[in-house]
Formats: sequence, structure tokens, C-alpha cells
Amino acid sequence: MKATAVRVRRALAMRSGDGLLRGAVWVLLALVLATLVGQLTGAGGRPDAIVGPRLQPPGSGWLLGTDNLGRSLLPRLLQGIGTTLLLSTLAVACTAVISTALGVVAGYRGGRTAELILRIGDVLYSFPAIVLAVLVAAVLGPGRTTALAAIVLVTVPLMTRMVGVAARAVARREFVTAARISGVSAPTIMLRHILPNVAGTVAVQGTYALSVGILVEGGLSFLGYGVQLPDASLGLLIQEGGLYMVGAPWLIVAPGVVLVAAIMAINLVGDSLRDRFEPRETRSLV
Amino acid sequence: MRRSAIIVGCSVALSAAVTSCSAPAATDTAAGQKAPKSGYLATSDASFKGSGPLTVQLDYDTVEAGGLDPQTAATARSWSIESLVYEPLVTIGPKFEVEPLLASSWKQPSATEYVFTLRKGVKFGNGRALTTADVVGSLQRLLKSKAAYAAQLGPVKSVTASGPDQVTVRLTKAYTPFLAALANTPAAILPMKEIDDGSLDIKKEMLGTGPFVVKDHKQDQYWNFTRNTSYRDAENVRISDLKIEIVPQEAARLAALRNGSAAFVNFNNIDSMDQLTGTRDAEAVSQTNSDFYYLIQNSKNPDSPLADQKVRFALNSALNRKEIASVALGGQGRPTGVTPSVLPGACDPAKLPAATARSADPAALKKAGTLRLAVYTSEPAVGQIAQVIQQQLAKAGVTVKIEKYDDTTFNSKVFGAKPDFDLAIGWFAGYVDASMVSRWWNPVQAGFSSTFLNDDKTLDALIDDAGSEPAGADRTKTLAELCARVDSGAQMLPLVTRPSVVGYRTDRVSPTLRAAEGYGNILRDIAHYTLPDAK
Amino acid sequence: MDHIRWLLGRVATAALTMFGVSVLIFAAVRAMPGSYTELVLGPLATQAEKASAAARFGLDRPVVEQYWHWLSNAATGDFGTSLVTRAPVAAEFGDRLPVTVTLTALALALTVLIGIPLGVYTGTRDSGGRGGVLGRLVSAFGMSLPEFALGSLVVFLFTRYRLGLTVGNYVPWSQDPLGSIGSLFLPACVLAVFCVAATARTTRDAVLGVLVEPHIAAAVARGEPKGFIVRHHVLRNASVPVLTLVATLSAYLLGGAVIVERLFNVPGLGSYVVDGLDRRDYAVIQAGVLLAAVVFIAANLLVDLVSGLIDPRISVLAKGAGS
Repeated sequence: MKATAVRVRRALAMRSGDGLLRGAVWVLLALVLATLVGQLTGAGGRPDAIVGPRLQPPGSGWLLGTDNLGRSLLPRLLQGIGTTLLLSTLAVACTAVISTALGVVAGYRGGRTAELILRIGDVLYSFPAIVLAVLVAAVLGPGRTTALAAIVLVTVPLMTRMVGVAARAVARREFVTAARISGVSAPTIMLRHILPNVAGTVAVQGTYALSVGILVEGGLSFLGYGVQLPDASLGLLIQEGGLYMVGAPWLIVAPGVVLVAAIMAINLVGDSLRDRFEPRETRSLV
Repeated sequence: MRRSAIIVGCSVALSAAVTSCSAPAATDTAAGQKAPKSGYLATSDASFKGSGPLTVQLDYDTVEAGGLDPQTAATARSWSIESLVYEPLVTIGPKFEVEPLLASSWKQPSATEYVFTLRKGVKFGNGRALTTADVVGSLQRLLKSKAAYAAQLGPVKSVTASGPDQVTVRLTKAYTPFLAALANTPAAILPMKEIDDGSLDIKKEMLGTGPFVVKDHKQDQYWNFTRNTSYRDAENVRISDLKIEIVPQEAARLAALRNGSAAFVNFNNIDSMDQLTGTRDAEAVSQTNSDFYYLIQNSKNPDSPLADQKVRFALNSALNRKEIASVALGGQGRPTGVTPSVLPGACDPAKLPAATARSADPAALKKAGTLRLAVYTSEPAVGQIAQVIQQQLAKAGVTVKIEKYDDTTFNSKVFGAKPDFDLAIGWFAGYVDASMVSRWWNPVQAGFSSTFLNDDKTLDALIDDAGSEPAGADRTKTLAELCARVDSGAQMLPLVTRPSVVGYRTDRVSPTLRAAEGYGNILRDIAHYTLPDAK
Repeated sequence: MDHIRWLLGRVATAALTMFGVSVLIFAAVRAMPGSYTELVLGPLATQAEKASAAARFGLDRPVVEQYWHWLSNAATGDFGTSLVTRAPVAAEFGDRLPVTVTLTALALALTVLIGIPLGVYTGTRDSGGRGGVLGRLVSAFGMSLPEFALGSLVVFLFTRYRLGLTVGNYVPWSQDPLGSIGSLFLPACVLAVFCVAATARTTRDAVLGVLVEPHIAAAVARGEPKGFIVRHHVLRNASVPVLTLVATLSAYLLGGAVIVERLFNVPGLGSYVVDGLDRRDYAVIQAGVLLAAVVFIAANLLVDLVSGLIDPRISVLAKGAGS
């Protein structure tokens, strides 16, 4: 009776959780749409053009105000959202491919192969994330490629480990054993049987990696290793805006709100995905 | 780059103010203050009778291969910090005139001979009196050293003690900037007896005749100075303990000034001045420097369009220095030629060839193609200047791609053995004589620039003339020609002067701040600051 | 016996990981463009001067020899000399470690004191549905505030208005223990926001996971009081993932609170290492990364051991999963 009540409660939580999910998805869609519209129509003008006096509050020529060089914030914000989302998505796509491949192999093969893969992951995982990111930036020089590489290196180890654990569990199940005994080749087993069963884990971890990626990009910008000038990213805009908090608060408020909203929406999507795919999975990406 | 920006600059000067120096307009956000003396942004309030500690915050510490040895110090930051302990023979006045310091007076019997009379009653921090041997030994040590600054003293033939309190310096030929070059920290007088007998390791400790002595120092964290009780004017130094904290983050220094945990800070973003709005008792001022930003056009790469002077000059013509100053520096910098525009005798940047050219040569601009512009991260203004330049050249049809590097990478890309850049922005200390910094346009003398700068014999001759001609109409004309030659050669282009922004708490300290500074010493005159009475 | 063998294996892999970290960091710092000699000697230095500076710091020897020299010294606690200050790196770490440890301890205390009860509360609350949504929203929000944005805001608010606490002036422990904690409180709070949110979420999930297990239903059926069930069944069973997370968080805090240290002007380890990176101060970077890795690996080892005690099944599982 009470156990049933607990289940009902969980189901309720799931349902209202779906409301959150919907909200989160709408936020993300709105951000992507804004970027696309901005890029395609050139709304608000060129992001790097100097259009007016410095540090003007929002007004007719510059809907969100101007920055310290007299550029309109609106197109820069749109460009920044695009840069940040694209960069993180691309990086996480790379992470997902690498981690899934390594994780599935490690999980299926086990033994020395798994040891090797997981130990290499551990080495990277043992580096403090921001130090690793700055190190990558110092070696490669700042820019998009660097931010991409840094995000991948920071997110790959944990995701590989998580996929590895999930793949290991799948590899022990009877249908895998059965396939192996009946002579199905290892690549086929990994592709046909294991991969589909770890897809949930990949989706969940990938979502969290996305929010970590945005944070890493912001941290790099803050420390001076972000995208190249005059490109904008959300992290860079916040870092620049922070210098003008008193005199020109609009420079930090708009990108700040957008950044927090984006990360939050991604986290909520991740939560929902996790509830769906791995109701018992409790590890999270930090 | 902030650390090695150095270097480069030296000065000279001279004799006397040739033309009247127009003190630059200072932006003083404080409206209600008494008008400071001419040449000053603020002068210490003599009615303040207090005494006690003062906390200063700076964005970075001195870092030099030669440790704390002032003779090998190559950055303005080192000069500032070390000037708290060390003093040279002469110093610089508010209008760039040379004034007595450890030398109470000097005579110049001929164009190549200077006789200094030492001030009486000067003692080192350990109580020992200053002797002519210290002066002779220090200058000889500097000249013998490989320090970059040694070259700035000019063609010195001999340094000798010519009396119980007299030192004579002879030059092989006239050198106008000699006294001005002596007025900077690397030419400070060191305790030669202690250095020679090995009781002082000058790379690790400081012992000078100045107002403060070091209590302790933690690299990149803090300096603790106390009043030097042996200082000749110790009773008038109001700061009993001077703490300098190293705080890299601009927002953190701003915060310290707002909440009063620091009484005096430097800013490297000009807009930080506005951030103090609404904070009682805090004030920020912008000091004009002879230091200036420059744009290098790498002319030594034969495959680059920049090897062609016509292309370089066309790009120069497409630049608008006024806009750079007003947009990238919020109006706090001013256009300059190779003679820093705040110095006496400087040329007028509005009359340079590129500025007067009716329009940039379109054919040459077409050849420029896409150019890479290297900048470094530690100074936001550099990135801002780069973006304004990018816009200006875009209007002229030239695409510029900005490449921002951390300081070390920037140095190796630009100043390394194999330069890897098309355009780069940096800054030079401008010093106090209009001809001195131009020395860096002679790659043979400068050394560091020979990898990206072609030697121009005509320019070299103008640089030499400017160094040896006495101040006057002839020299002003030489300086104007020098500026024009640099501008049309367009290899290394002076852009705009580089301001220093400092903030202070009016309830903690009444500082003396010059309107213009040549050696980048924001701590100059700190021994004269007054403090309010303790409550 | 099995346990001992497992433990030995675990320690051996930890040592192997450390070795990997040491090789990687050593190689990485040398792959950075620009060198210390170029940076400090400046553009005016001649090749001969650069060579002599390199020789002074042993930078002219073969890389493998440098590596071996460094590693064997590091094993004895000698991490070399900072190229910039020429002081032993170990001494500087000794000065900065207490700062970082205090900051981490404060942030962790907040995390544990707020995050875990919050997670348990939202996980067990009667109106689970709404509690779940609220808890989820709050933790998602907390995890979405980047340190650099939140920190800037806090610094601004606390300096612009008089709110009781000052920012930016760190007080050393030796000077005034209470004042020291006070001066680290705000940065600890900024760090804690993310950690609290992450811990609350993990705790809530763990609690929810345990709640649906049959033995809880059985306890409920036996009529055991709710508080008792939570304390005796739920918490114990939910503690392993929470413990793992807290260990990861503590290692993360010890290794790199760089941004918060910069913003609040705290002389901790993270900013020292990043400054070292800017300066190509090899010994500092290497020692910093090695130290952070030791902490991280040790924390994980510890968690494995403790988890094994709480739930003996873990060690077997962990072995099975190869981690």
C-alpha cells in the first residue's frame, strides 16, 4: 500500500518533471533560433562594427546598449550565444564519439584493454580541470580549436568511465554471452548489442558534458584564453562586462542571464534524460 | 609583455625645457578638490599631519632575470618599486626638467664633461655615509654590465672622483640625454663597499639611500617596507610602514579601494575610473605618460606584402590615431609620433606624412591581402586598440585577423629568433627626452628589433643627430624629420600614448601625483604623501 | 585475503596513474611555446645569455635526464626551485597549502551541512512531487552559476554596499585564526554554491533510489517510524554515491579554485600554478599538478576503502568494473 504510494509519488514527480523538461527545451530552442535569426538576417548589425559612443545604455540604435568600444551588444550577444553553443556542442560530440568507442571497447573486452583505457582516462581526470584547460590553451594558443580541445580533454575521462561501467554491465548479460558463443564477431556484438544499450548513458553524460563545456569555455575566457578577438562568446562577454558593472550593468546582465539560462536548461534536460534511461544511476558529472 | 615592455625606452633629455611643455590635461573625477599646482594631478595636503601605515595594491610584481639589482631592471614596474629604496644622482621635475637628487648640483664645463657635487648627509639604510667611491663604482659597474640600460648613458669615457664630494663624468662626444638617462632607477647609486666585500647580495636584497627599507618580500604576493631611519629627510616621511600587495585581478583591486583595504591602487583599464562612481572618499586619476603603444609591421619577411614600403605606408595612412585614442582608450591617450607627444620638443603627429596624405593608396592596399595582428592578453587596452585598427583597416578594404596570445607566447612569436607575425602591438617606455626612444628604431643598436626591422641609414643618422644636438630650434627640426622618416618608413609605428590610471582613498592619503610621467613610476613622490590625522 | 589483494592492486594502479600524470605534465610544459629564459631575459638578451640561464636551471640537459632528475627529487619531497623566485617550490607550497585547505574545508562544510540535508529532505518529503520539482529547479540553478559570474557579482555587491563582510583582504591563519576564516567565508560560499547543488541532487537521487528498494517497503510495512527508516536504512544505503561525490568535490576544490582565488585575492595553490603557467615556471607547474593529482587519487582511494567498509559488495563491483 505504502510502496504503491511511493511509486505513485515517483510517477507524479516524473510528470511534473516533464513540465520542467518542456520549459528547458523551449529555452534551448529559443536560444538556437535567436542565433540562427541573428546570423541569417544580420539582426542588430555586424557584431564587430563600431556603431556609436562607448558604454551607452540601451537605446534605439543599440537595443541592448553599447560596449567599451561603442559596439552594439545585441549582435555580439547573438554571436556569443552561437559561438558558445556551437563550440560546446561540437566539443561534446567529439567527446561522445571518443568516449563511447573507448568505453564500449573497455566494457566489452575488459582485462588489460579496459585497464589501459581507464588508466589513461584517470591520468587526465587527475588534472585539475581548469589547469588542464589553461595548459591546453598555452600549448595550442588561444582560439576556438583550443577551447574545443580543452573541453574534450576535460570531459572525456569521466564519460569514458561511465560508458565503460554501463557497457561492462551489458557485456555480462546473457544475450551478449549467447551471441559470443554463437560466433558473432566482436565488432558486431559491440555495435549491435552493446552500443544501443549504453545509448542512454551516452545521452545523459553528453548533456552534462555540454554544461561543463560551457563552464570551461567561460573559465578560459575569464583567464584570458578564450576565443580570438573580436569574436564574442558568452564567457568573454561576461568577463568584459564584469569590468563595467557599476557604470554599464547592461553589459553583464544580458549575457549573464542567457548563460545561466542555457546551462540550467541543459542540466534540466540531462536530469530528465537520466530519469528516463537510468533511474538508479546516481553519479553525476562534476 | 607587461613585464618585458620595457625596455625599451630611454631617454634623454635634456637640457632644459626647450619648448614649454604643455602639461597634458588630466582627467580628474574629483570635482571638489583644490586645484593642484601646474604639472600635477594632485598635491599632498600640507595640513594633513598624520603618520602611519599605507597599503598600496599593484597588478604585478617586479620579475627580472637580475633579481633586485636595479642596474639590470628593464621594466617600469621594477623601476617604481626599486625607487623606494634606491636613488640616482638626479631626478626629473614635473615638466621633465632635470633636478638635483643625490647630487646637490652639477656643472657642465664643456659639452662632454659633467661635474657633480654630492649632497651632504646622505646615508645608506645601514647608516653608512655615501662616498664618491659609491658613485664612481656604481656608474662604472653599470657601464661595464651588459644591462640594456648601460647603452642609454651614452658615450661615457670616464667616471672619476675629482674631489672629496665631486665626481666628474667625461663623454667622448656630446650626448644631450645624458642627465635624463642618469635620472632613472637603473642609474641609482649602490652601496659599492658592501657589494664589493660580499656582505650584500644585490640580486636578493636592497640597500640604498632612499626613504624606505625592505622588511620582507614574498614574490608575487607582497612587499613590506618601513621608513629608512637613516634617510636624510626621514622626519618628513609620513608613511611609517608601506605595504605593497600584488593583486592581479582588476576587480579585486577595485574592491579593495572601495572598501578601504587599500589606500592606493593602479588600474590597467581606463574605465575603472568610472567604476568608483558612488564610492565615497575614493578618487581615480589618469596620468599621461610618455610611454606609447606602437604597431610593428614586420618588414623583414620577403614573402609578405609588408616588405613593400608602399603597402606599409598605405596601411599607416588608413589608421586614425585620434579614433584609436578616443575609442580604445576612452580619450585618455593622445596620438604621438616617435617623439612622445607629451615631451618638450616633440613633433606634431597631425603633421606627419601619413596623416597629411590625402588618402591611402588603393593599389597598395589591395596588395596587403589578409594580415595577422598579434596582441598579448595581460593588458586589455592592447586588444581594444587591435580591434579599432581592425575596423579602420577593414574600411580601407584590408582584412586583419587578430591573434591574441599569452604574454610569453607573444614574446616568442614577435621577439623570438624567428618572428612569426605580420602586425603586432606593444608599448615602449617613452622616457623624458624626445629623442631617446627613437634609438629602438635603429635595429643595430636596439638588437631586439633586428629580426623584423630593416636598417635605414638615413634614419640612423637622424637618431644620432637628435641625441647629440643641443636643445634648440635645430634639434626640434631634427626631431620633426626623425618623426617623418619613421612615419613614412612605417616599419614600427608609434600610435598613441599610454596612460596610467591610479585610484586612491582621500580619507587615507593625500598623494602627490604628476600630470605626466616619463619613467612609468606611479610611486614617484610617495615619500611626500601626507596622511590624515589618526582619529 | 581478497580484500588485501584488492587493496594492493588499487594502490598499484594509483601509483601507475601518478606516474602517467608526471610524464604528461612534464611533456606538456615543454611543449608550451616560449620559454622561461625568453620571458625573463626579455627580447634584448643575447643567445649566450639565454644559454647560460638555461644551463643554470639545468634546462640544457637531455629531457629524459631532466625528467628523471625531477622525479627522483620529487619522490624525496624536493620539488625543485622556482625559476622566478629562486625559492624552493616545496616551501611556497607549504605556505599556500593551509590557505587552500582552509578554503576547501569551509566550502565542504557548507556543502555537507546544507547539501546533504537538502537532498534528504527533497528526496523523502511527503509531497514528493512538488518537492522534487522544487529541489530539481534549485539544484539545477545552483549548478548553472559559473564561478566567474557569481564571484564577480559577490565581489561587486560586497564592496559597493556595506554588507558586513569585506572582500579582497586575506588574513593569514597565523595572524588571526577567526579573522582568517572570516576572510575566506565569501569565497567559500561562492565555491559552495555549485557543490551544494550537486550534492543535494546526488543525495536526492540516491535517497529516491533507495526508497524504492524492497527492504524499505518492508521496514515501512513493519511500521518503523519514518525518521528511523531514514537514519538507519536510507542514509546508510545512499551514502556511497554521496561520499564519492564529496571526495571528487574536495579534490576539485584543493586542486583548482583558480578563478575564485583570483577574484577574491586569496593566495592559494590554484592561482600559483596558473601564474606558473603564464611564466613558464616549470618546477611550479609540475609540482602543482602532481600535488593536485596526488590529492585526487588519494581521495578516490580513500572513498573506495570507506565504501568497501560501508558496503562490502562495492570492492568486488569496483574490481569488476575495472575502476
